[in-house]
Amino acid sequence: MDKETAGIALALVTVLAVFAAIQPLLPANNEPFSELGVLGPNQTIGGYPASVSAGSPFLLYGYIGNHEGASSFYQLLVKVGNQTTQVSNSTYASAPVIFTYSHVLGNNQSTIFPLNLTLSDQGTNVRLIFELWSYNVTSSSYGYTGLWNQLLLNVTSPQ
Amino acid sequence: MEHREDLTRYRVSRGLSFLLLTIITLSLCARVGGAAAVTQAQLSSANEEILSAFASVSGAERSGGNVSSLDAKLNDAITLVQDAEEVNATNPARAAADLQNATAVAQSVVAESASAKQAGGSVRQATEATSLSAASAIVVVAALIYLLGGRVYRKAWLRLYRDYVVRPANG
Repeated sequence: MDKETAGIALALVTVLAVFAAIQPLLPANNEPFSELGVLGPNQTIGGYPASVSAGSPFLLYGYIGNHEGASSFYQLLVKVGNQTTQVSNSTYASAPVIFTYSHVLGNNQSTIFPLNLTLSDQGTNVRLIFELWSYNVTSSSYGYTGLWNQLLLNVTSPQ
Repeated sequence: MEHREDLTRYRVSRGLSFLLLTIITLSLCARVGGAAAVTQAQLSSANEEILSAFASVSGAERSGGNVSSLDAKLNDAITLVQDAEEVNATNPARAAADLQNATAVAQSVVAESASAKQAGGSVRQATEATSLSAASAIVVVAALIYLLGGRVYRKAWLRLYRDYVVRPANG
């Protein structure tokens, strides 16, 4: 090995070693994100009810995951909308809230929790909208994460 | 005459029993109705305490503190507030106790956040010092190898093979 090659190899090893040494000082998560999921009554991605009775409770499960690089204070809102209700990654639905769930999650933690819901009014293709909000410490207010989900239901007359 | 006295005694005893029953019933009603339902303002106040505690926890985490136990405590406080909301109509006394406990938990989280922040600061300083020292040491060793490596290698080679007898290949 000539002197130039040895010098380059040494420089390369040095750079790699220095990079490894300063790893603890680098940010842990460069692409922070959160997760929202709605699970059926068996805590699986399926078995969702297509029809429920007005006034009768039914069970779903929610899933929230935190990969933001720090603890997050999440709030899941369940809203009842219809076909004209506007909701997107940037706009939250303007619809009545029927259920609220709050939870603090550390980085890389997730939770599954029951959603005991009851719809009072009958209707066809009722949109159950699930939105994830998180508390912003700087602004001291909840902010819409842009994560949402929906379930279309037929709400029949009480049995 | 004796019959009349018995009748009077019976009436007095019945009246006293009725009075006693009335007093017991009233006292029970007073106990049940005595605990006023928790107001929306009290619920909001407890929620504000929890959010304030979360802000303290976030600060501690940014400083490098381990806040996993504080996160768990905040979830306990949230559960207490949710329970208070659920039972407020049926059991206001329990709802009030839940709110009181939730507020106490949130305040204890704020208090513990300060020590977590301090501990985190020390750990972070130690980590930074270790990392920077290791990086500096690596650079110094690399420079020494580059400058003196050849000389050291040759000296070591000579020391290792000083007794080596050189024989010609075709000898």
